[in-house]
Amino acid sequence: MKVFLFFLLKKIIILFVVLLITLFLTIFLLGSTMDKIMMDQVRLQAINSFSGAALENPMLQQLKTNEERQKLIDQQIKIQSQSLGLDEPWYSPKKIFNSIYKIITLNLGNSRFFSTYYGSNSVNDLILEKLPNTILLFTTSSIAIVLIGLFFGTYLASREGSIPEKFISGLAATSRGVPDWWFSMIMIVIFSFFLHVFPSRATPLSSPNEPGYILDLLYHMTLPFITLVIIGFSPFVYYVKYIVLRILDEDFIKTLKIMGIPKRNILYIHALKNAGPQLSTIVSLGITASLTGSVLVEQIFDWPGMGNLFYNAITQNDSPLIIGLSYISVLIYLLTRLILDICFTFFDPRIKSGET
Amino acid sequence: MTLKLIRLIRENKGGFIGALLLFFLMIMTIYALFFVSTQSRLQWNDPMYWSDNPKTAAPEWFNIILKPFGNQLPEHKIFYQKDATVNSINDTDFKLENNTFSYQFDFNEFPPAFDIPYEITLGEIPPILEVYVKRPDDLEFRIYSNSLESLSSFQNNGDNAVDNNNNNSTTPTLINSNTVLGRVFSSSYDVRNSLAEYGGVFKFPISGLSAEKIIYSKTDSNTPLKGKYEFIFSVYSFDSDTVLKNLQLVIQGKVYGLLGTDELRRDVFFGILIGTPVALFIGITVALSSSFIGLFYGLYSGYTGKKAGTFMLTVIDIFISLPTFIIFIIISIHFGRNLMFLIGLFILFGWPGVALLNRTFSIQIKNYPYIEASKLMGESDFKIVLRHIVPQLLPFTLANFALSVPIAILGESALSFLGFGDPSFPTWGQMLQEAHASSAETLGYWWWIVSPGLMISVTSIAFILIGRSLENLVKIGKRR
Repeated sequence: MKVFLFFLLKKIIILFVVLLITLFLTIFLLGSTMDKIMMDQVRLQAINSFSGAALENPMLQQLKTNEERQKLIDQQIKIQSQSLGLDEPWYSPKKIFNSIYKIITLNLGNSRFFSTYYGSNSVNDLILEKLPNTILLFTTSSIAIVLIGLFFGTYLASREGSIPEKFISGLAATSRGVPDWWFSMIMIVIFSFFLHVFPSRATPLSSPNEPGYILDLLYHMTLPFITLVIIGFSPFVYYVKYIVLRILDEDFIKTLKIMGIPKRNILYIHALKNAGPQLSTIVSLGITASLTGSVLVEQIFDWPGMGNLFYNAITQNDSPLIIGLSYISVLIYLLTRLILDICFTFFDPRIKSGET
Repeated sequence: MTLKLIRLIRENKGGFIGALLLFFLMIMTIYALFFVSTQSRLQWNDPMYWSDNPKTAAPEWFNIILKPFGNQLPEHKIFYQKDATVNSINDTDFKLENNTFSYQFDFNEFPPAFDIPYEITLGEIPPILEVYVKRPDDLEFRIYSNSLESLSSFQNNGDNAVDNNNNNSTTPTLINSNTVLGRVFSSSYDVRNSLAEYGGVFKFPISGLSAEKIIYSKTDSNTPLKGKYEFIFSVYSFDSDTVLKNLQLVIQGKVYGLLGTDELRRDVFFGILIGTPVALFIGITVALSSSFIGLFYGLYSGYTGKKAGTFMLTVIDIFISLPTFIIFIIISIHFGRNLMFLIGLFILFGWPGVALLNRTFSIQIKNYPYIEASKLMGESDFKIVLRHIVPQLLPFTLANFALSVPIAILGESALSFLGFGDPSFPTWGQMLQEAHASSAETLGYWWWIVSPGLMISVTSIAFILIGRSLENLVKIGKRR
């Protein structure tokens, strides 16, 4: 148990280091632009509040010369920026610590150009609005891929060397080489330009509070869903087949055969059950990857998810949004990895006994 | 020998297909490197160079597919000055020169547009230019008329003329001391303006239509009128110095070349061709460096073990846990748009996976009895590693090498698609990015999307197939 705890601690430390590295990198690369944006905001605010105050306070209107006005505004900006810590460069330790603290506590600030349907432009709200869509599309397609893979992979394992088995092996190699985002473009050309079956843009036309919204969303989801399943299923089938084949080689299966248990039962109950730990690894890895979606596929289908938001943030250079999105994606990625690692250490007897 | 080779091929069909694909890519690379000059490669981003090509034209062989459906797309045609029939009329104080091009039009669709580039050497008195179209139904439209300015006024506002060339005007520009270069094109303001006068001829409103849809249209309905069209370019010159040169009539087709053209009139096949060496260079450089670093890093950390080895393993762990794609994007936002930088980035994140594999193998090999024996014989660690461990790892490294090539190629194309590609080296990913930016997939420009993506896929699949069969060979070799 002690070894297990030590192992767990090590994993947590590594993942925390990874998180810190990513955060440092983001702040290091985007920090200076962030500061510039904040400074602009402060300046604008100071000028606005000054002209607002000048309307009410006749004393201020007596400052006729521009220089006097400018001096007052400058003073205001200086006080403001000092209170926000903008007078220090972004690389000062205090500042970096502050930014990291802010990001870790999910205080992600406001987006420069984007807002949610209800008009809020806080990064948190934006992500909360888009995350369900990404999960809806990518997680359902991952689950479909897993189901197809479990069924066909096990089936093909019993028919090694047959034509369908060879076909799937070839298809798996091909699917790995084909960029999924290019395949999405091809699917749009075929199904929406030539056949007019599905819309080319996957963002639903109706607004979120209309009654038919869910149906509309599902209709727009169909083409991306089919695309993701077609491009993703064959490597998974191939992998399941590979694992089940190795288990079919073992002695206990031969014993079951001699005992006269039907072939189908051996395959789908005994072999699949024993392949469980290995299969759960790859299944959970696939589903983890699906949580953050794919920037390119979402952008091509114009699916209103996290990936598409990320793409737009990059093209518009919206640094607060980029930082927020990267942090959330990294966080989801690392947390699921940690949970997976904990599960594996429970399953894997070698780690508990201390041989690594 | 040949029998053995045939057996090898039969047992590794995938590898054989991969090798064939690689051979095809090598031929394209060699052609692109030795038969395409650097000069024309740089022309890729120069829109002027491609101005005689049609815009977003499908490949020429597409007409063969369309034939059973009874549909044909207009072909791209360029008429040169020597193709024109010239008749001149000499009057007392001027000379009229008519250059007539005849164009047989028999397609079911309107051709997209036409261009008439010309050069004129100016004399003392500037000439007057006019363009007429004579249709099969004997109607004649004057679509353009311009009395050129004198040479001195061209010389005076030479700087402004350059600006004019970019927008919708047909004003000629001075290209040397006494020659001007002009271009009459169907989408220009002048042509549309002159056509507006013929609104009475047609039985439907023509105000919103583009020029070619008016010129080639039947008068009673807006459908194409087949037959022989004559384009007449007339020059009224008032002195003997005025000479017309390099006159052309470019009928913009809807099919062109082997793989069609893109929005900027560039030949897609040319882009595919010059993208091949870049893709292979990226893939091979990254794979070579990362498998080399991975081999020695893994070897060292596996063989030494102890604290240094554990620390090196932790470094690998950290690298593997990093969310690569997001980090690529963040780094590229700051530094991107440089090919060498991208390659460095791929190497930086490519080696840890290879290192982990090599580490596991070298720990296994380290515990074999013959290694211990040679240790007892007093061989140095360096010699043991070089003589006994590296040769055993090399086949795996070769397979790893082949399998890391597609990762780099796919990664580069994905980053290029996000707009972080190096503009001085056109790649397939960048072509796809441009296609997506002009929403080629919704407008149905399939030739612009299919070919670059197919090349990316073919390259990756070739290396995946080769890598897989190498892996199998290694495994079989070990079993025996």
